[in-house]
Amino acid sequence: MSQAASRTSIAASAPRATGLMTLLVALLLTELLIQAGLINRFIVPPPSEVAKAFYRIVAQEHVFRRFLSTAAECFAAGVMLTLAGVSAGLLMQRFTLLQRAVETWVASIAAAPLVIMYPLFLVIFGRNALTIIMMGFISGLPPAILKTIEGISATRKVLINVGRSFNLTATQQFWKILFPAALPTIFVGVRLGLVFALINVVGTEFLISYGGLGALIADLAERYDLAGTYAAICFVILVSVLFFLALEKIERWLRPVD
Amino acid sequence: MAETGRLRQTATAPLIGPVALVRTAIVLALLALWEFLAHSGWLYRDVVPSLLSIARALARLLSQPDYYYNLGVTAGEIGMALLIGGGAGLLVGLVLGGNRFLSKAFEPYLYYLGPTPKIIFLPIAIMWFGVEAPSKIALGTFSCFFPVALNVAAGMRQIDRVLIRVGQSFRASTLQMVVKIYLPAMRHPIINGVRLGFGFALIGVLLAETRLSNKGVGFVIMQADSTFDMPSMYAMLIVLFVLAIGANALIGRLGGIDTIKRS
Amino acid sequence: MNASGDAILVADRIAVRFDTAEGPITAVDDVSFKVRPGEFLSLIGPSGCGKSTLFNVIGGLLSQHDGIVSVAGETISGPHKSIGMVFQEESTFPWRNVTDNVAFPLELVGMPRDKRIERARRFISLVGLDGFENRYPGELSGGMRQRVALARTLASEPKILLMDEPFAALDEQTRLLLGDKVLQIQQQLKQTTLLITHNITEAVQMSDRILVMTYRPGRVKRIVDIDLPRPRSSAVVTSEAFGRYVAEIWNDLREEASRGMRDEESQVLHHHGSAP
Repeated sequence: MSQAASRTSIAASAPRATGLMTLLVALLLTELLIQAGLINRFIVPPPSEVAKAFYRIVAQEHVFRRFLSTAAECFAAGVMLTLAGVSAGLLMQRFTLLQRAVETWVASIAAAPLVIMYPLFLVIFGRNALTIIMMGFISGLPPAILKTIEGISATRKVLINVGRSFNLTATQQFWKILFPAALPTIFVGVRLGLVFALINVVGTEFLISYGGLGALIADLAERYDLAGTYAAICFVILVSVLFFLALEKIERWLRPVD
Repeated sequence: MAETGRLRQTATAPLIGPVALVRTAIVLALLALWEFLAHSGWLYRDVVPSLLSIARALARLLSQPDYYYNLGVTAGEIGMALLIGGGAGLLVGLVLGGNRFLSKAFEPYLYYLGPTPKIIFLPIAIMWFGVEAPSKIALGTFSCFFPVALNVAAGMRQIDRVLIRVGQSFRASTLQMVVKIYLPAMRHPIINGVRLGFGFALIGVLLAETRLSNKGVGFVIMQADSTFDMPSMYAMLIVLFVLAIGANALIGRLGGIDTIKRS
Repeated sequence: MNASGDAILVADRIAVRFDTAEGPITAVDDVSFKVRPGEFLSLIGPSGCGKSTLFNVIGGLLSQHDGIVSVAGETISGPHKSIGMVFQEESTFPWRNVTDNVAFPLELVGMPRDKRIERARRFISLVGLDGFENRYPGELSGGMRQRVALARTLASEPKILLMDEPFAALDEQTRLLLGDKVLQIQQQLKQTTLLITHNITEAVQMSDRILVMTYRPGRVKRIVDIDLPRPRSSAVVTSEAFGRYVAEIWNDLREEASRGMRDEESQVLHHHGSAP
């Protein structure tokens, strides 16, 4: 039995190892091609230099402080979109007429390139954190609203009937049945909203050259610090990956049996 | 008000549905609020321009052949981005979706790289492709590759297995399987991927245009910004959003999906 | 309608083993039988007797097995052109209308369009779906969709029709009526048919012979010759002889089915009783 188990675990890690190996081989190949002069090192810096640049930017560019900046902006945007989004969603679900009138509008907003409004926000809010936070907020709002509506509407009829069979009042019905049942879906909406918020926060920081990590990339690029720019981009990717992993962990914790 | 007594009468439907009424009410309220803010003097001049000035700017915009030229430029860049990025995404998605091993090896990279802001790759795009259309297309391509690939891969895995067995039982060739079974069975995920891809390509191209080049919708928006011509900027944003939402709905409609909500 | 002549399908000592997380299991063990041309043969057994595995082996979709399946003397190695399969699950293509669904196998071999449509129309009519040629599966009921799937397979004019519980998802009355339809068609076309089922009434109603299978590992427990007169219809279910056959087969099956149930129960206990 343990033989079969160990066989299956090797089989399970083989693909992941292959993926990792492919990545390492690609990096190695890039390094060799650049050193051999076949790839222009002023366009693609050697991975070894990018790795060294990592240390440099951490030491010299106050990366941690910038990270906190970005994180704070995301947090603010996240709190706002959760409160506003879930409340709006609940309101809309409660008043069907409102829902039928406004839901497609919200969905349409989700399909629009909101981030192109950043010059407008710059004018309205100034070149500061507020612009960035607002950008994150409005991009993350639609999914939070839509998923909240979906979550409550999709509560299985039988659960509602259970509540009615116990003669629950409307408020009790809501807090004891509808809301808990909708929570996993609502969290999916909040997670999507947070993801969009992060993307737009970093993106806006880059575009207006203000703030945390996104601005770091813009700065390094402006100084033609090639290796540094690549390193900073890798750093941002790393941060967003960790962020998504954390969100997934929390989501799994919220719905353990699904 | 006269209708309150007529609960039982179902013969005549209301001329204007309640939904339309609510929508009109909301729109009117928002417009009134806007106009109030515009004239209140609380905000800096023209940050919230009067509706009239926006309307005039809109009229001006739509009568300028220059604007249509810029629209065309942007549309062309998005089209190219969709073609290259979408095509590559389709192929990669088919391969990853069809092979368990490859999917487990490489799809996580796509999954986690997907939701990162692609605009930060702009400096690299400039270095590799220069400051004109190619780098804008590159950014759009890079942006739309991921949603298409991921959606197609997921779509492959969700195909009803029995449909594949039907094809196998009739000894269909690989090409026949792909064209007559896989692709039609995946039409919904493919369309959704294209819709998302379009949205991301649009953003990628627009944002690149705001920093590079002297053509395109993103560029003219920045132009209006730098001359503080706010009514024009609002007009451009309105046109852009209407077109973007319309295109999104059109793609969905073409694919047989009639709600924008699915994403 | 008596079947005669040499066997058209021969299954010789078929055995199938799977490797699972709990260790190797033998789904099918040493199953052999012959099917005569024009014959209606049913394979009946409890869940877990390997019927669907056999279905996939004979249909050529499962190649890892011991033993040989041969059609008209030729060993098969993959789906054979003389065998047409009808699956248990919903298998119509939702994006094609009825005609295009039925014409699918003809499209694959490059038959020209007008010939395809003409042939498809014939089989659509055969299954009683005249007038529905341009409808889509989404507009049809479950029973109608299964009829489309049947017409699609019949349109490829296979020598052997292989069906895996095609009526399992339907209600009893629809099932009886569809069974009538299939019988009618089979008798009309003199179609050699191999039906996999767990439904005794269905098997006795339609078959010339019935192979009763044991619970896992699946073996042939008994072969029953059904000597009810042909042509048959669903009315035959009320005859005395019918009742006797059903009782006889249920006797054989009951033992196997209970073994299956006990096995399932012990599996659940085994998995949920222990701590992670």
